[in-house]
Amino acid sequence: MMNIPNKQIKRRGLSLLLSIILVFCMFGAIIFSVSRKTAREMSNSAIQNLSESLDLIQSTIEAILRSEAEFQTLIAQEIARVDDPEAYIRAYEKNQTMSKMSLILSGKTEGISNTGERFTEDSLDFSAGETVMGLPISQSYLNYMGTWSYTMKCPVERDGREIGTLYAEYIYDAVDRSLPEGFYNKQASLYVMDAESQRFVLKPKGMGQRSAGHLNLTDFYRANDIQDPEIRAEVNACLGSGKNILFYHDIRDVQALNYMWSVNGGTIFLVGYVPIQAIQQEGRTVSQNIFIVVASMLAAFFLCILLYYLSWRQQDKLRKEQEAERKLHSQQLAEALQAAQIASESKTTFLSNMSHDIRTPMNAVLGFTSLLSKDAENPAKVREYTQKIMASGQHLLSLINDILDVSKIESGKVVLNLEEFSLNDVISSVDAIIQPMAKARKQDFHLEATGIRHERLIGDETRINQILINLLSNAVKYTPEGGHIRFRIMELKQRSSQYEHIRMEVEDDGYGMTPEYLETIFDAFTRAENSTTNKVQGTGLGMAITKSIVELMGGTIEVFSEVDRGSLFRVDLELRIQEGHADRRFWEQRGISRVLAVDADPESRESIQSLMQDAGIRLDTAAGWEEAAAWLRDNGEDCQIVLLDWETCGLQAARDLRESFSMPILFLAESGAEGMEEALQIKFTGILTKPFFVSAFREKVAQFWADPSEAAAPVPEEDGGLQGLHFLAAEDNEINAEILTELLEIEGASCEIVENGRLAVERFQEAEAGAFDAILMDVQMPVMNGHEAARAIRSLDREDAGRIPIIAMTANAFAEDEKAALDAGMTAHVAKPLNMEHLKSVITQCTKRKEDGS
Amino acid sequence: MTPIKSVSRKWSALFLAVLAALSLTACQGSAKPKNLISQEKEAARVVNLFSPMEKTDPNAKNIARTASDLTVAMAEEKLGVSMMYRTYTAENYQDKTYDEVTLDRARSNMDDLYLLNPDTLLILGAEGKLMDLSGLDSAKNLREIIRVANTVDGKLIAIPQEIVAYGLFLNMDLFNQYGLSQPETPEEFLECCRVFKENGFETPIGANRWWLETFVFAQAYADLYNGGNAEAEIAALNSGEAKYSDYMRPGFEFLQILIDRGYIDAETALVSEAIEAEGPDFLAGKTPIVMAYWGAANSETGYGKTDFEMQVVGFPSSRGQMPVIPMTGYGIGAEAEHREDAAKALDIMTSDEALQLYSETNRVISPSKNVKVDCVPSLRPLNDRIEEGIYVLGSNAGMNVEQWGNTCLIVRELLEGASVDECMAAFDALQEAALAKE
Repeated sequence: MMNIPNKQIKRRGLSLLLSIILVFCMFGAIIFSVSRKTAREMSNSAIQNLSESLDLIQSTIEAILRSEAEFQTLIAQEIARVDDPEAYIRAYEKNQTMSKMSLILSGKTEGISNTGERFTEDSLDFSAGETVMGLPISQSYLNYMGTWSYTMKCPVERDGREIGTLYAEYIYDAVDRSLPEGFYNKQASLYVMDAESQRFVLKPKGMGQRSAGHLNLTDFYRANDIQDPEIRAEVNACLGSGKNILFYHDIRDVQALNYMWSVNGGTIFLVGYVPIQAIQQEGRTVSQNIFIVVASMLAAFFLCILLYYLSWRQQDKLRKEQEAERKLHSQQLAEALQAAQIASESKTTFLSNMSHDIRTPMNAVLGFTSLLSKDAENPAKVREYTQKIMASGQHLLSLINDILDVSKIESGKVVLNLEEFSLNDVISSVDAIIQPMAKARKQDFHLEATGIRHERLIGDETRINQILINLLSNAVKYTPEGGHIRFRIMELKQRSSQYEHIRMEVEDDGYGMTPEYLETIFDAFTRAENSTTNKVQGTGLGMAITKSIVELMGGTIEVFSEVDRGSLFRVDLELRIQEGHADRRFWEQRGISRVLAVDADPESRESIQSLMQDAGIRLDTAAGWEEAAAWLRDNGEDCQIVLLDWETCGLQAARDLRESFSMPILFLAESGAEGMEEALQIKFTGILTKPFFVSAFREKVAQFWADPSEAAAPVPEEDGGLQGLHFLAAEDNEINAEILTELLEIEGASCEIVENGRLAVERFQEAEAGAFDAILMDVQMPVMNGHEAARAIRSLDREDAGRIPIIAMTANAFAEDEKAALDAGMTAHVAKPLNMEHLKSVITQCTKRKEDGS
Repeated sequence: MTPIKSVSRKWSALFLAVLAALSLTACQGSAKPKNLISQEKEAARVVNLFSPMEKTDPNAKNIARTASDLTVAMAEEKLGVSMMYRTYTAENYQDKTYDEVTLDRARSNMDDLYLLNPDTLLILGAEGKLMDLSGLDSAKNLREIIRVANTVDGKLIAIPQEIVAYGLFLNMDLFNQYGLSQPETPEEFLECCRVFKENGFETPIGANRWWLETFVFAQAYADLYNGGNAEAEIAALNSGEAKYSDYMRPGFEFLQILIDRGYIDAETALVSEAIEAEGPDFLAGKTPIVMAYWGAANSETGYGKTDFEMQVVGFPSSRGQMPVIPMTGYGIGAEAEHREDAAKALDIMTSDEALQLYSETNRVISPSKNVKVDCVPSLRPLNDRIEEGIYVLGSNAGMNVEQWGNTCLIVRELLEGASVDECMAAFDALQEAALAKE
């Protein structure tokens, strides 16, 4: 379907291209034709121009020759009239035109010249028979002045009788003076050639070696490389017949018009060349201008095309963007629709699942309650039934908690509580929770940390715990007994110096998952369904919650799994590093400046060094006990603590060490490592659970150094008995109110119930100071809710209004609910359903604080 | 909108605005004067320079000419004059020679500045046709020998741009091939010729109608100029007490031997122009010996680029290798139309600055005592002799018989078949004419 428009577009583009090429061809043809015509006309014009110039020069020279002939005729007539012609000749002085005048009287072969020399005609060559106005003219020759000249002879007639011949010698320099100065702006060359001898008798002014070829016609041919025999033949023909010839020939790579121009019927010739550009200076300008106009038009044309193309491209881009946007919208709509449908289906499935999951414990609660009513008299049965009711209730509660968590995360109401925490605490608490679970299922739970350089980080510790416990508890749940579970925490390459890039991996060799299930594992309301896993209790929300929290922290979660091979969950998080935490004073106060760590694993050694680098302690390492012993021999006195890896060194090393030194020894050991009891018998020893963390190390050090304030044994908490206390409780739900009353009574306390916040405020107002030890406040109540009531109580003008403990007791169990309660002025927050132990603890703390007056 | 787009739009707008402004400016008219002919024509100052022209390929650079042109251009620039070249070249040996035309033109005051060969220089000087140049600034820098050789009747009549020294150009590859060393004396030279002749070189010496006289001068005046008694000997010649023919005879007899033994082809030499005829054979290794002037060793149109090792040495004489130095130079017509400008131009062309440029370009010996330039390796033997002060002059204004031109003509007579005695008689006649003139 898409190919058809593309083909059309291509065809249209091709047509357009062909049209443009056609237009260009036509344009080119027109330009070519015009320029050829112009060139032809310019050539004709150049020929005409040069012809006219040469005609003019020819006419000038011929006029000079004629005037010389006329002058000579007049002189001859003058001589005819004088008595002594030879005396006349001798007296005649040469002038600029005529360099010599001679006379040979008739009948003689020798005459005289005005220069005083004898004169004969022998040195003159009149054989060519050329004449000027009927006077014979000789071939050109170099005269006594060293310059080229010619002689005309004229008969001297007296009374019709020839008495002698007058010879007058004229120099070509006279002609030169009448020629144009700088022929064609000195770019052209102009020689006068004697036709008979073909020698150049007049050369351009200033001629020198720099432009050779001015000796004779042969020299001219040679110098200007005129070798074409046809041209030469034609030139010879013209020289013979006295005709003009004009031909194109490049002179030193410049196009030129060469000429041989007949003067005086071919006696002499004007010879030379003119570069075309010298003749066509204006033509060249015209050509340049035409070129500029054509170039401008082409430039304008291409500019228009370019602008059109740019505009078209912009519009096309816009159109494509709009199309893409439309497509995206459609796709998004389709996806949203599909997601909505899936969500709807999922929720239907979920409701179905929930209905089942809620009904199951509810069925147990109701069933056992029925049994309880029947067997009320049998205390053993009662205890058994209540335990089962309690278990079912707990399961129901966790189910509800998960549902609420998911709905909150999905609605974006979850706020991360970013605080400083220690990775050690996280690992310790995870280990404390998971280790017993794994042990219960006889699984091997192994924990390792590598390359951790920063222990103190900023993040939501609770949520991180939640992630890890979710993943690890799943691993425990979905791994059969005797299986292996690995928890690895490692540091990746930092992308920013302020953030630690941490990878946490949970790997098991349990049931694994099918590829199909992997695709939906992080979707809410799904759960792996098979005969094995159906035995496992769960809401199917854990992984969705985990993924949501990870993403909320800006991290990523991946899962790799194979059925019956196990699963690997990988969480990458970037957590801000807590700077400047290193408490150097801690170590200084205890005089600890040097510590030796013995561990065969180089990564562990490096990790310890890296973690301790800010503590201000010199930490030396050894790869084995022998190395450590050698080190201790040299530096033992300066060393305050020795860390011994249990696997590397073992018991004997500790004994050997104790024999020589008395400093405390801390064993680095896996949780539950065997044989530790015997090691701890040695004086001043302790266990540091692997992986190594500074905070744990500090705790141990603090114990060893027995600082009285720190070493003081924690005061055991008093038994949280509520005996004799009297509470005001605002609770609108009668059953809850009754349960509360009963529970308090069991603890020896009494309680006064009011139905809403207003009544609570009023009752407190009416009561005497100290009548109530604390107020237990439900939040969601008619008339006045718990927050308003708390504010109202705190604002009362009573001495105890500010300090009476107000404890929120609400089903709104989230952190932000707790915050809202505290903001309203309440003292503490206890989530429903009530855990009596927790309530007791909170009440005890609150009442104690009240007594302390804080 | 991105910043780049915004900037490009601004530039586009600016470009269009400039284009529009230029278009409007182009349409603007300009006021035209009523008289369309420019009246600003300066009267051009001209100096006419008459110098020989060589028939060479117009595209080839003749080094000597180029160097001369450089100094001419310097004068044109400094003075604001135009130097007009006027030239003459004989088509063949039957034509008037350059020297003959030079004499005609100088006597008729046709030009202003002339490049004169030694004989014409002395003839015109003697006739008083040349201006006294001793007042020029550049004349003060001349070496003494140059000043003396160009002084006639107390007037400095010419100033050269280079000292033209003539020598023998030897193909050393061939000399080495036949185990010959550079000849010092006439006898050694004859021996070399014999060996070459016997080894198939038909005419071992390439000659032309101009320069064979150098052999004569070397033998004639080796003792006169290098014996420490030059002034007295010249005085004796000028007074007629001594005869030029006595000095010239050994050289002519030597030439006669060369002709008789076929070391020189007299007939060919008589109609050969310098370098044109003998040059190609020498360059091709067919002729082992030619004679030429210093500049030919530098010039590509001469012997500046050979495929063999070339050495330029003095002519054989009783005092060993002898360079022959004729005096050429620029002279100015005493009655020339533009003689003042010509004198100024020549002063610049022969200034130390110009001669430095000239000598560096051509690598020749400068007539100025202030200019020193290294020569090409092939010229070192000749240069060393000149630097030692060992040479003979081909022309000397102090002698009453012109040497360079007359000897050349008389050598031609020898080539034409005249006997040595006839040639000596010609010298005697010249000497008698000179004495009679005095």
